[in-house]
Amino acid sequence: MTSRMAMYIDSSKCMACRGCQVACKQWNDLEGWEYSHTVNTGSYENPPSLSPQTWTRIKFIEVPDSGPLGFQWLFLKEGCMHCGDPACVKVCPTRALKKHPLGIVTFERELCNGCGYCTQFCPFGIPKSDIKNLLTGEAKSSKCVFCQDRTTNGLLPACVKTCPAKALDWGPWEEMVSKARARVEELKAKGYTAAQVYGDTQLGGLGRIYVLTNTPEKYGLPANPQFPLLATLWQDIVQPLGGLAIAGTALALGFNWLVARRKIKVEQTGEEG
Amino acid sequence: MLRKGGLIRVFSTQQRLIHWVHTFTFAVLALTGLFLFFQDLRPFVIADAGTASRSLHRMGALLMGVLPLLYLLLDYRNFFASMRRLLTWSKVDLGWLKAAPRYYFLGDEKAMPPQDKFNTGQKLFYLVVALGYLVFGVTGLLMWGGKGSIDPLLFMLCVLLHDLMAIAWVSFFLVHFALSAMHPLMKGALDGMLFGWMPEEYVEHHHAKYYAEIVEKERQ
Repeated sequence: MTSRMAMYIDSSKCMACRGCQVACKQWNDLEGWEYSHTVNTGSYENPPSLSPQTWTRIKFIEVPDSGPLGFQWLFLKEGCMHCGDPACVKVCPTRALKKHPLGIVTFERELCNGCGYCTQFCPFGIPKSDIKNLLTGEAKSSKCVFCQDRTTNGLLPACVKTCPAKALDWGPWEEMVSKARARVEELKAKGYTAAQVYGDTQLGGLGRIYVLTNTPEKYGLPANPQFPLLATLWQDIVQPLGGLAIAGTALALGFNWLVARRKIKVEQTGEEG
Repeated sequence: MLRKGGLIRVFSTQQRLIHWVHTFTFAVLALTGLFLFFQDLRPFVIADAGTASRSLHRMGALLMGVLPLLYLLLDYRNFFASMRRLLTWSKVDLGWLKAAPRYYFLGDEKAMPPQDKFNTGQKLFYLVVALGYLVFGVTGLLMWGGKGSIDPLLFMLCVLLHDLMAIAWVSFFLVHFALSAMHPLMKGALDGMLFGWMPEEYVEHHHAKYYAEIVEKERQ
């Protein structure tokens, strides 16, 4: 059975306990070093961004409103979107990043050469590069892999398994989309007029299907993420052009060499060949 | 200007040294760069091999980057003298451009105007190399140190420009190599860069304007 799978993320149920962050670190054996370096910036969120050692995190967004607190909290579970049409896979020269039949953008760390193209071409800026040496360029990229070692063996991703609020779920893509759409209707009936699904239509459908209580922009998500045009231009036009240009030049030079040799022969024999 | 035993001095020891170190760094950079262009060479970009080729590319770039400075330091007179010749364009060059297709592809030399120490093709090659220094330098350094701090769109543009420049450099290099090292009619060119001296008759035939200049200077 290899139908596409997806992670359902209901931000209306998330209470920002960050159990998912901990479970992710535990299962994937990631360090927690950032926590001793935290710089508080007037928010409860921690750490302040994804990093080579933090593949998922809860982003805290405060939206002012007219309620008793004066603001409303939005919680966004950040991490790799596992795009249906992933730019990182297109630009990765080592094939360390691949698209799995389950819809997971898998990552094989031992193949990565540290070029970091994935970190720059991702429309969501998700993969992070762990640069060990800026001079030599020694580095490794990393990102959420939907616990590829668990999910390809029929288990739930660690974050989904641990979520106490049942804000997370894992299942066939279509099922997760229907579940999200149904939940959005429910939220709308409760007065969340801006509630919407995110991920069902973007970039060939994302591997994360979000239920948002507000607009994507409010969550800091791009409303209409695009596959980078420059990735297509680079991989499908410029690189094949390189081979053609070299072959064409070599061909012209070979012809020129023959012309020159004939000229010598003609001069030597004094007659047209 | 030196002329001795049927030979003409064309390049100083320093110029030849710089040329051949440049050739070496170019070989390192082109090879490690071309790994990305051809699927069959992909094993060289994977894992530790890839990290090593990326490092080599950077070391080669650093060495190449200091070469113009070294050239200036070792032989500024010839640096500026060559630069002046390379940047001086006249009717002779227009004539070369018009006559070149017939010369290179039909072997017809009649319309070719007498050339200076560097012919128009060589001048063009030099300008492409100089443009490469600029483009590779800027885009390379931005990609090297700017990951994460520059706008991703700028990074992507750098990748694209770096690749386009590489295609131009490698194509022009093939022309340079074929005409100077393999071409049956131009053996004098390689002599010049290897030993610093060119046969007089070669200079007279291929760089007639330059030859006239030498003769004129000696008469004075």
